[in-house]
Amino acid sequence: MISEYDGLLRAEGRYAVGRGRVPAAHLAVLLGVAGFLYGTGMGFFGGRPLQALYSGLKVPMLLMISTLVCLPSFFVLNTLLGLRDDFGASLRGVLAAQATVAASLMALLPIIVFIYISGSDYQYAVFFNGVLFAISTLAGQRTLSRHYEPLIRQDSRHNIGRWSWVILYVFVVIQLAWVLRPFVGFPNMSVSFFRAGAWSNAYVVLFRDVLGLGF
Amino acid sequence: MSGFFKTIDEVLRGRRTRKEDLAEGKIDVPIRTLVLAGLLLGGAYGIFMGLFATMRATNASYEQLLATILKVPLLFILTLVVTYPSLYVVSALFDSRLRHGATLRLLLMGVTANLALLAGLGPVTGFFTFSTESYPFMIILNVAFFIVSGLVGLGFLRTALNAVFEVKEEPRENPTDLSESSARESLRPRPKKLASLRVFTFWILIYGCVGAQMGWVLRPFIGTPGLPFELFRSERESNFFEAFFKAIGQLFV
Repeated sequence: MISEYDGLLRAEGRYAVGRGRVPAAHLAVLLGVAGFLYGTGMGFFGGRPLQALYSGLKVPMLLMISTLVCLPSFFVLNTLLGLRDDFGASLRGVLAAQATVAASLMALLPIIVFIYISGSDYQYAVFFNGVLFAISTLAGQRTLSRHYEPLIRQDSRHNIGRWSWVILYVFVVIQLAWVLRPFVGFPNMSVSFFRAGAWSNAYVVLFRDVLGLGF
Repeated sequence: MSGFFKTIDEVLRGRRTRKEDLAEGKIDVPIRTLVLAGLLLGGAYGIFMGLFATMRATNASYEQLLATILKVPLLFILTLVVTYPSLYVVSALFDSRLRHGATLRLLLMGVTANLALLAGLGPVTGFFTFSTESYPFMIILNVAFFIVSGLVGLGFLRTALNAVFEVKEEPRENPTDLSESSARESLRPRPKKLASLRVFTFWILIYGCVGAQMGWVLRPFIGTPGLPFELFRSERESNFFEAFFKAIGQLFV
Protein backbone atom coordinates (compact mmCIF):
# COMPACT_ATOMS: atom_id res chain seq x y z
CA MET A 1 0.00 0.00 0.00
CA ILE A 2 2.78 2.41 0.96
CA SER A 3 4.51 1.74 -2.35
CA GLU A 4 1.27 2.64 -4.15
CA TYR A 5 1.20 6.02 -2.38
CA ASP A 6 4.87 6.44 -3.19
CA GLY A 7 4.16 5.77 -6.84
CA LEU A 8 1.34 8.31 -6.77
CA LEU A 9 3.47 11.04 -5.19
CA ARG A 10 6.38 10.38 -7.55
CA ALA A 11 4.12 9.88 -10.57
CA GLU A 12 5.67 6.49 -11.27
CA GLY A 13 4.39 3.10 -12.35
CA ARG A 14 0.66 3.04 -13.08
CA TYR A 15 0.42 6.66 -11.89
CA ALA A 16 3.00 7.91 -14.35
CA VAL A 17 2.37 10.99 -16.44
CA GLY A 18 0.97 10.06 -19.83
CA ARG A 19 -1.90 8.83 -21.86
CA GLY A 20 -2.40 5.24 -20.74
CA ARG A 21 -5.53 3.86 -19.14
CA VAL A 22 -6.63 6.01 -16.19
CA PRO A 23 -6.19 3.95 -13.00
CA ALA A 24 -9.43 5.37 -11.61
CA ALA A 25 -10.23 2.46 -9.28
CA HIS A 26 -6.73 2.46 -7.76
CA LEU A 27 -6.83 6.22 -7.29
CA ALA A 28 -10.28 5.99 -5.68
CA VAL A 29 -8.99 3.40 -3.21
CA LEU A 30 -5.92 5.49 -2.35
CA LEU A 31 -8.12 8.57 -1.93
CA GLY A 32 -10.70 6.69 0.11
CA VAL A 33 -8.22 5.11 2.54
CA ALA A 34 -6.13 8.25 3.06
CA GLY A 35 -9.17 10.52 3.31
CA PHE A 36 -10.83 8.19 5.79
CA LEU A 37 -7.75 8.06 8.03
CA TYR A 38 -7.33 11.83 8.12
CA GLY A 39 -11.06 12.37 8.57
CA THR A 40 -11.15 9.98 11.51
CA GLY A 41 -8.32 11.88 13.18
CA MET A 42 -9.96 15.18 12.35
CA GLY A 43 -13.28 14.16 13.86
CA PHE A 44 -11.72 12.87 17.06
CA PHE A 45 -11.43 16.38 18.45
CA GLY A 46 -14.17 15.97 21.04
CA GLY A 47 -13.11 12.36 21.80
CA ARG A 48 -16.31 10.98 20.26
CA PRO A 49 -15.81 7.85 18.12
CA LEU A 50 -19.06 8.30 16.18
CA GLN A 51 -18.12 11.83 15.10
CA ALA A 52 -14.69 10.47 14.11
CA LEU A 53 -16.36 7.80 11.96
CA TYR A 54 -18.65 10.37 10.32
CA SER A 55 -15.74 12.68 9.54
CA GLY A 56 -13.77 9.71 8.25
CA LEU A 57 -16.53 9.04 5.74
CA LYS A 58 -17.01 12.69 4.86
CA VAL A 59 -13.47 13.62 3.86
CA PRO A 60 -13.35 11.12 0.93
CA MET A 61 -16.93 12.11 0.08
CA LEU A 62 -15.86 15.75 -0.08
CA LEU A 63 -13.03 15.04 -2.52
CA MET A 64 -14.95 12.54 -4.65
CA ILE A 65 -18.31 14.28 -5.00
CA SER A 66 -16.76 17.66 -5.83
CA THR A 67 -14.67 15.95 -8.51
CA LEU A 68 -17.70 14.18 -9.99
CA VAL A 69 -19.76 17.37 -10.03
CA CYS A 70 -17.06 19.25 -11.95
CA LEU A 71 -16.05 16.50 -14.40
CA PRO A 72 -18.87 16.89 -16.98
CA SER A 73 -18.08 20.55 -17.69
CA PHE A 74 -14.33 19.76 -17.66
CA PHE A 75 -14.94 17.11 -20.31
CA VAL A 76 -17.02 19.42 -22.52
CA LEU A 77 -14.55 22.29 -22.15
CA ASN A 78 -11.63 20.06 -23.16
CA THR A 79 -13.61 18.86 -26.14
CA LEU A 80 -14.44 22.41 -27.22
CA LEU A 81 -10.83 23.47 -26.80
CA GLY A 82 -9.88 20.74 -29.25
CA LEU A 83 -8.08 18.76 -26.55
CA ARG A 84 -10.22 15.63 -26.50
CA ASP A 85 -7.38 13.43 -27.72
CA ASP A 86 -5.48 14.40 -24.57
CA PHE A 87 -8.45 14.01 -22.25
CA GLY A 88 -7.18 10.71 -20.87
CA ALA A 89 -3.95 12.40 -19.83
CA SER A 90 -5.80 15.39 -18.33
CA LEU A 91 -8.15 13.11 -16.41
CA ARG A 92 -5.18 11.13 -15.10
CA GLY A 93 -3.73 14.39 -13.81
CA VAL A 94 -6.93 15.59 -12.19
CA LEU A 95 -7.73 12.30 -10.46
CA ALA A 96 -4.12 11.81 -9.36
CA ALA A 97 -4.15 15.34 -7.95
CA GLN A 98 -7.26 14.55 -5.88
CA ALA A 99 -5.66 11.37 -4.57
CA THR A 100 -2.53 13.38 -3.76
CA VAL A 101 -4.61 15.81 -1.68
CA ALA A 102 -5.87 12.84 0.37
CA ALA A 103 -2.38 11.32 0.62
CA SER A 104 -1.00 14.63 1.88
CA LEU A 105 -3.78 14.92 4.42
CA MET A 106 -2.89 11.44 5.66
CA ALA A 107 0.71 12.52 6.02
CA LEU A 108 -0.42 15.57 8.00
CA LEU A 109 -2.52 13.42 10.36
CA PRO A 110 0.15 13.24 13.09
CA ILE A 111 0.33 17.02 13.10
CA ILE A 112 -3.41 17.48 13.64
CA VAL A 113 -3.34 14.82 16.37
CA PHE A 114 -0.46 16.68 17.99
CA ILE A 115 -2.41 19.95 17.80
CA TYR A 116 -5.45 18.30 19.40
CA ILE A 117 -3.35 16.71 22.14
CA SER A 118 -1.61 19.96 22.91
CA GLY A 119 -4.99 21.30 23.97
CA SER A 120 -6.22 23.75 21.37
CA ASP A 121 -9.78 25.02 21.55
CA TYR A 122 -12.46 24.42 18.91
CA GLN A 123 -11.80 27.58 16.90
CA TYR A 124 -8.08 26.77 16.62
CA ALA A 125 -8.87 23.17 15.71
CA VAL A 126 -11.06 24.36 12.82
CA PHE A 127 -8.43 26.91 11.79
CA PHE A 128 -5.54 24.40 11.76
CA ASN A 129 -7.59 21.88 9.83
CA GLY A 130 -8.28 24.60 7.28
CA VAL A 131 -4.56 25.33 7.02
CA LEU A 132 -3.75 21.63 6.55
CA PHE A 133 -6.40 21.31 3.85
CA ALA A 134 -4.91 24.34 2.10
CA ILE A 135 -1.42 22.77 2.26
CA SER A 136 -2.76 19.49 0.89
CA THR A 137 -4.51 21.31 -1.92
CA LEU A 138 -1.18 22.86 -2.87
CA ALA A 139 0.36 19.38 -2.82
CA GLY A 140 -2.39 18.27 -5.19
CA GLN A 141 -1.47 21.16 -7.47
CA ARG A 142 2.09 19.80 -7.61
CA THR A 143 0.79 16.53 -9.03
CA LEU A 144 -1.54 18.39 -11.38
CA SER A 145 1.41 20.46 -12.66
CA ARG A 146 3.47 17.33 -13.16
CA HIS A 147 0.76 15.93 -15.44
CA TYR A 148 -0.06 19.20 -17.14
CA GLU A 149 3.48 20.47 -17.88
CA PRO A 150 4.06 18.20 -20.90
CA LEU A 151 0.49 18.83 -22.09
CA ILE A 152 0.93 22.61 -21.92
CA ARG A 153 4.30 22.37 -23.70
CA GLN A 154 2.53 20.48 -26.45
CA ASP A 155 -0.49 22.79 -26.63
CA SER A 156 -0.86 25.99 -24.61
CA ARG A 157 -4.68 25.63 -24.58
CA HIS A 158 -4.20 23.09 -21.80
CA ASN A 159 -3.48 26.09 -19.58
CA ILE A 160 -7.10 27.17 -20.02
CA GLY A 161 -8.29 23.64 -19.27
CA ARG A 162 -6.18 23.41 -16.14
CA TRP A 163 -7.12 26.74 -14.62
CA SER A 164 -10.79 26.31 -15.50
CA TRP A 165 -10.70 23.07 -13.56
CA VAL A 166 -9.00 24.67 -10.56
CA ILE A 167 -11.41 27.63 -10.40
CA LEU A 168 -14.57 25.55 -10.78
CA TYR A 169 -13.32 22.87 -8.38
CA VAL A 170 -12.46 25.38 -5.64
CA PHE A 171 -15.85 27.08 -6.10
CA VAL A 172 -17.67 23.76 -5.68
CA VAL A 173 -15.52 22.21 -2.96
CA ILE A 174 -15.93 25.21 -0.63
CA GLN A 175 -19.70 24.88 -0.86
CA LEU A 176 -19.57 21.09 -0.47
CA ALA A 177 -17.36 21.39 2.60
CA TRP A 178 -19.94 23.77 4.03
CA VAL A 179 -22.78 21.37 3.30
CA LEU A 180 -20.95 18.35 4.72
CA ARG A 181 -19.95 20.07 7.97
CA PRO A 182 -19.29 19.37 10.80
CA PHE A 183 -15.90 17.80 10.19
CA VAL A 184 -14.30 18.66 13.51
CA GLY A 185 -17.47 18.55 15.61
CA PHE A 186 -18.26 21.24 18.18
CA PRO A 187 -17.86 19.52 21.57
CA ASN A 188 -21.06 20.96 23.07
CA MET A 189 -23.24 19.91 20.18
CA SER A 190 -24.65 16.42 19.72
CA VAL A 191 -22.95 14.13 17.20
CA SER A 192 -24.56 14.25 13.77
CA PHE A 193 -23.66 13.39 10.20
CA PHE A 194 -25.01 16.71 8.92
CA ARG A 195 -25.44 19.81 11.01
CA ALA A 196 -29.03 20.99 11.36
CA GLY A 197 -29.59 23.62 8.68
CA ALA A 198 -26.48 22.47 6.83
CA TRP A 199 -28.20 22.85 3.48
CA SER A 200 -27.39 26.48 3.11
CA ASN A 201 -25.01 28.39 0.89
CA ALA A 202 -21.46 29.12 2.09
CA TYR A 203 -21.13 32.18 -0.11
CA VAL A 204 -24.40 33.68 1.09
CA VAL A 205 -23.26 33.13 4.70
CA LEU A 206 -19.89 34.68 3.89
CA PHE A 207 -21.48 37.84 2.52
CA ARG A 208 -24.24 38.09 5.11
CA ASP A 209 -22.69 36.94 8.38
CA VAL A 210 -18.94 37.35 7.97
CA LEU A 211 -18.69 40.44 5.82
CA GLY A 212 -21.90 41.89 7.24
CA LEU A 213 -23.37 42.52 3.81
CA GLY A 214 -27.05 41.95 3.15
CA PHE A 215 -28.22 39.27 0.74
CA MET B 1 -28.82 7.17 -32.57
CA SER B 2 -25.10 6.46 -32.18
CA GLY B 3 -24.61 8.28 -35.47
CA PHE B 4 -26.31 11.30 -33.94
CA PHE B 5 -24.01 11.36 -30.92
CA LYS B 6 -20.98 10.74 -33.11
CA THR B 7 -21.88 13.72 -35.27
CA ILE B 8 -22.37 16.01 -32.27
CA ASP B 9 -19.09 14.78 -30.80
CA GLU B 10 -17.34 15.62 -34.06
CA VAL B 11 -18.96 19.07 -34.10
CA LEU B 12 -17.70 19.79 -30.58
CA ARG B 13 -14.24 18.51 -31.45
CA GLY B 14 -14.09 20.86 -34.41
CA ARG B 15 -13.90 18.05 -36.95
CA ARG B 16 -16.90 19.38 -38.85
CA THR B 17 -15.38 22.87 -39.09
CA ARG B 18 -12.04 22.08 -40.69
CA LYS B 19 -10.22 25.00 -42.28
CA GLU B 20 -10.22 23.48 -45.75
CA ASP B 21 -13.96 22.76 -45.65
CA LEU B 22 -14.81 26.24 -44.37
CA ALA B 23 -12.61 27.80 -47.04
CA GLU B 24 -14.84 26.09 -49.60
CA GLY B 25 -17.95 27.23 -47.73
CA LYS B 26 -18.79 23.61 -46.90
CA ILE B 27 -20.44 22.45 -43.68
CA ASP B 28 -22.16 19.10 -43.99
CA VAL B 29 -24.00 18.58 -40.70
CA PRO B 30 -27.80 18.32 -41.12
CA ILE B 31 -29.71 21.23 -39.59
CA ARG B 32 -32.18 18.76 -38.05
CA THR B 33 -29.35 17.07 -36.12
CA LEU B 34 -28.07 20.37 -34.76
CA VAL B 35 -31.53 21.55 -33.70
CA LEU B 36 -32.20 18.24 -31.96
CA ALA B 37 -28.84 18.46 -30.18
CA GLY B 38 -29.68 22.01 -29.07
CA LEU B 39 -33.04 20.88 -27.71
CA LEU B 40 -31.53 17.94 -25.82
CA LEU B 41 -28.55 19.80 -24.37
CA GLY B 42 -30.60 22.87 -23.46
CA GLY B 43 -33.28 20.65 -21.93
CA ALA B 44 -30.60 18.89 -19.88
CA TYR B 45 -29.48 22.18 -18.35
CA GLY B 46 -33.13 23.19 -17.94
CA ILE B 47 -33.62 20.21 -15.60
CA PHE B 48 -30.94 21.52 -13.24
CA MET B 49 -32.03 25.14 -13.57
CA GLY B 50 -35.69 24.33 -12.94
CA LEU B 51 -34.95 22.20 -9.85
CA PHE B 52 -34.84 25.30 -7.66
CA ALA B 53 -38.56 25.87 -8.16
CA THR B 54 -39.38 22.32 -7.02
CA MET B 55 -37.36 22.65 -3.83
CA ARG B 56 -38.78 25.88 -2.45
CA ALA B 57 -40.16 25.56 1.07
CA THR B 58 -43.39 27.23 -0.01
CA ASN B 59 -45.00 27.26 -3.39
CA ALA B 60 -42.95 24.38 -4.89
CA SER B 61 -43.70 24.21 -8.60
CA TYR B 62 -43.15 21.26 -10.92
CA GLU B 63 -44.78 23.22 -13.73
CA GLN B 64 -41.85 25.64 -13.49
CA LEU B 65 -39.42 22.71 -13.89
CA LEU B 66 -41.19 21.55 -17.05
CA ALA B 67 -41.38 25.10 -18.38
CA THR B 68 -37.64 25.65 -17.77
CA ILE B 69 -36.73 22.38 -19.53
CA LEU B 70 -38.50 23.75 -22.60
CA LYS B 71 -37.49 27.36 -22.22
CA VAL B 72 -33.69 26.99 -22.06
CA PRO B 73 -33.33 25.44 -25.55
CA LEU B 74 -36.10 27.68 -26.87
CA LEU B 75 -34.22 30.74 -25.68
CA PHE B 76 -31.31 29.89 -27.98
CA ILE B 77 -33.29 28.55 -30.92
CA LEU B 78 -35.82 31.43 -30.95
CA THR B 79 -33.03 34.00 -30.65
CA LEU B 80 -31.42 32.45 -33.71
CA VAL B 81 -34.75 32.43 -35.57
CA VAL B 82 -35.19 36.14 -34.85
CA THR B 83 -31.62 37.17 -35.60
CA TYR B 84 -30.66 34.82 -38.43
CA PRO B 85 -31.73 37.10 -41.29
CA SER B 86 -29.68 40.02 -39.95
CA LEU B 87 -26.72 37.78 -39.10
CA TYR B 88 -26.75 36.39 -42.63
CA VAL B 89 -26.96 39.86 -44.17
CA VAL B 90 -23.93 41.00 -42.16
CA SER B 91 -21.84 38.01 -43.25
CA ALA B 92 -22.93 38.39 -46.88
CA LEU B 93 -22.00 42.08 -46.84
CA PHE B 94 -18.48 41.11 -45.85
CA ASP B 95 -18.22 38.51 -48.65
CA SER B 96 -18.45 35.42 -46.48
CA ARG B 97 -17.79 32.18 -48.36
CA LEU B 98 -20.61 30.55 -46.44
CA ARG B 99 -23.91 30.53 -48.30
CA HIS B 100 -27.33 30.62 -46.68
CA GLY B 101 -27.54 27.02 -45.40
CA ALA B 102 -23.91 26.82 -44.33
CA THR B 103 -24.16 30.05 -42.32
CA LEU B 104 -27.18 28.68 -40.45
CA ARG B 105 -25.32 25.43 -39.79
CA LEU B 106 -22.30 27.29 -38.45
CA LEU B 107 -24.46 29.38 -36.13
CA LEU B 108 -26.28 26.27 -34.93
CA MET B 109 -22.91 24.67 -34.23
CA GLY B 110 -22.00 27.68 -32.08
CA VAL B 111 -25.30 27.23 -30.19
CA THR B 112 -24.56 23.51 -29.79
CA ALA B 113 -21.11 24.25 -28.35
CA ASN B 114 -22.62 26.82 -26.00
CA LEU B 115 -25.38 24.47 -24.81
CA ALA B 116 -23.00 21.51 -24.46
CA LEU B 117 -20.88 23.41 -21.94
CA LEU B 118 -24.01 24.69 -20.21
CA ALA B 119 -25.26 21.10 -19.91
CA GLY B 120 -21.82 20.14 -18.57
CA LEU B 121 -22.17 22.82 -15.87
CA GLY B 122 -25.65 21.50 -15.04
CA PRO B 123 -24.49 19.24 -12.18
CA VAL B 124 -22.80 22.24 -10.53
CA THR B 125 -26.05 24.23 -10.75
CA GLY B 126 -27.93 21.19 -9.42
CA PHE B 127 -25.54 20.85 -6.51
CA PHE B 128 -25.90 24.51 -5.54
CA THR B 129 -29.67 24.27 -5.93
CA PHE B 130 -29.77 21.48 -3.34
CA SER B 131 -27.87 23.61 -0.84
CA THR B 132 -29.09 27.15 -1.51
CA GLU B 133 -32.19 29.01 -0.50
CA SER B 134 -31.02 32.39 -1.77
CA TYR B 135 -32.83 33.32 -4.97
CA PRO B 136 -30.42 36.19 -5.88
CA PHE B 137 -27.48 33.76 -5.58
CA MET B 138 -29.14 31.33 -7.99
CA ILE B 139 -29.81 34.14 -10.47
CA ILE B 140 -26.17 35.23 -10.37
CA LEU B 141 -24.86 31.66 -10.61
CA ASN B 142 -27.07 30.91 -13.64
CA VAL B 143 -26.23 34.20 -15.35
CA ALA B 144 -22.52 33.52 -14.73
CA PHE B 145 -22.81 30.04 -16.30
CA PHE B 146 -24.74 31.40 -19.25
CA ILE B 147 -22.03 34.03 -19.76
CA VAL B 148 -19.16 31.53 -19.47
CA SER B 149 -20.74 29.01 -21.84
CA GLY B 150 -21.75 31.84 -24.16
CA LEU B 151 -18.13 33.01 -24.33
CA VAL B 152 -16.99 29.50 -25.17
CA GLY B 153 -19.65 29.27 -27.89
CA LEU B 154 -18.39 32.58 -29.25
CA GLY B 155 -14.82 31.30 -29.19
CA PHE B 156 -15.97 28.36 -31.32
CA LEU B 157 -17.58 30.74 -33.83
CA ARG B 158 -14.57 33.07 -33.84
CA THR B 159 -12.21 30.25 -34.76
CA ALA B 160 -14.54 29.08 -37.51
CA LEU B 161 -15.04 32.59 -38.89
CA ASN B 162 -11.29 33.15 -39.06
CA ALA B 163 -11.03 30.04 -41.21
CA VAL B 164 -13.93 31.19 -43.39
CA PHE B 165 -12.34 34.56 -44.08
CA GLU B 166 -8.73 33.39 -44.24
CA VAL B 167 -9.13 32.53 -47.93
CA LYS B 168 -6.28 33.63 -50.14
CA GLU B 169 -7.53 36.12 -52.69
CA GLU B 170 -6.46 35.32 -56.22
CA PRO B 171 -5.65 38.37 -58.33
CA ARG B 172 -8.40 39.01 -60.86
CA GLU B 173 -7.75 37.16 -64.07
CA ASN B 174 -9.29 39.71 -66.40
CA PRO B 175 -9.26 43.07 -64.76
CA THR B 176 -11.61 45.34 -66.65
CA ASP B 177 -9.79 48.45 -65.54
CA LEU B 178 -6.10 48.23 -66.43
CA SER B 179 -4.95 51.47 -64.86
CA GLU B 180 -1.85 51.03 -62.72
CA SER B 181 -3.46 51.86 -59.39
CA SER B 182 -6.38 49.48 -59.79
CA ALA B 183 -4.07 46.67 -60.92
CA ARG B 184 -2.03 47.17 -57.77
CA GLU B 185 -5.28 47.17 -55.78
CA SER B 186 -6.37 43.85 -57.27
CA LEU B 187 -3.09 42.17 -56.35
CA ARG B 188 -3.15 43.32 -52.77
CA PRO B 189 -4.79 40.71 -50.50
CA ARG B 190 -7.95 42.05 -48.97
CA PRO B 191 -7.92 42.58 -45.20
CA LYS B 192 -9.91 39.43 -44.58
CA LYS B 193 -9.02 39.19 -40.89
CA LEU B 194 -10.65 42.54 -40.39
CA ALA B 195 -13.79 41.30 -42.17
CA SER B 196 -13.86 38.26 -39.90
CA LEU B 197 -13.56 40.46 -36.82
CA ARG B 198 -16.29 42.82 -38.03
CA VAL B 199 -18.73 40.02 -38.81
CA PHE B 200 -17.99 38.47 -35.44
CA THR B 201 -18.53 41.79 -33.61
CA PHE B 202 -21.83 42.46 -35.36
CA TRP B 203 -22.96 38.89 -34.65
CA ILE B 204 -22.18 39.24 -30.94
CA LEU B 205 -23.98 42.56 -30.69
CA ILE B 206 -27.09 41.43 -32.54
CA TYR B 207 -27.35 37.94 -31.06
CA GLY B 208 -26.32 39.07 -27.55
CA CYS B 209 -28.82 41.93 -27.30
CA VAL B 210 -31.71 39.94 -28.76
CA GLY B 211 -30.76 36.89 -26.66
CA ALA B 212 -30.71 38.86 -23.41
CA GLN B 213 -34.09 40.38 -24.16
CA MET B 214 -35.46 36.99 -25.32
CA GLY B 215 -34.40 35.61 -21.96
CA TRP B 216 -36.27 38.43 -20.31
CA VAL B 217 -39.42 37.82 -22.35
CA LEU B 218 -39.34 34.05 -21.67
CA ARG B 219 -38.82 34.47 -17.92
CA PRO B 220 -39.31 33.09 -15.33
CA PHE B 221 -36.62 30.42 -15.70
CA ILE B 222 -35.85 29.94 -12.01
CA GLY B 223 -39.11 31.17 -10.51
CA THR B 224 -39.28 33.88 -7.84
CA PRO B 225 -40.08 32.29 -4.46
CA GLY B 226 -43.45 33.47 -3.24
CA LEU B 227 -44.91 34.12 -6.66
CA PRO B 228 -47.32 31.61 -8.20
CA PHE B 229 -46.25 29.74 -11.34
CA GLU B 230 -46.67 31.69 -14.54
CA LEU B 231 -45.60 30.42 -17.94
CA PHE B 232 -44.61 33.98 -18.81
CA ARG B 233 -44.52 36.98 -16.53
CA SER B 234 -47.50 39.19 -17.12
CA GLU B 235 -45.71 42.54 -16.84
CA ARG B 236 -43.55 43.54 -19.78
CA GLU B 237 -41.74 46.64 -18.56
CA SER B 238 -37.99 46.93 -17.74
CA ASN B 239 -35.33 44.61 -19.19
CA PHE B 240 -32.70 41.96 -18.53
CA PHE B 241 -29.84 44.32 -17.69
CA GLU B 242 -31.85 46.19 -15.09
CA ALA B 243 -32.80 42.93 -13.36
CA PHE B 244 -29.23 41.59 -13.35
CA PHE B 245 -27.77 44.72 -11.77
CA LYS B 246 -30.62 44.78 -9.27
CA ALA B 247 -29.70 41.23 -8.17
CA ILE B 248 -26.07 42.28 -7.73
CA GLY B 249 -27.26 45.32 -5.78
CA GLN B 250 -29.21 43.07 -3.41
CA LEU B 251 -26.00 41.19 -2.65
CA PHE B 252 -24.29 44.28 -1.27
CA VAL B 253 -27.13 46.41 0.15
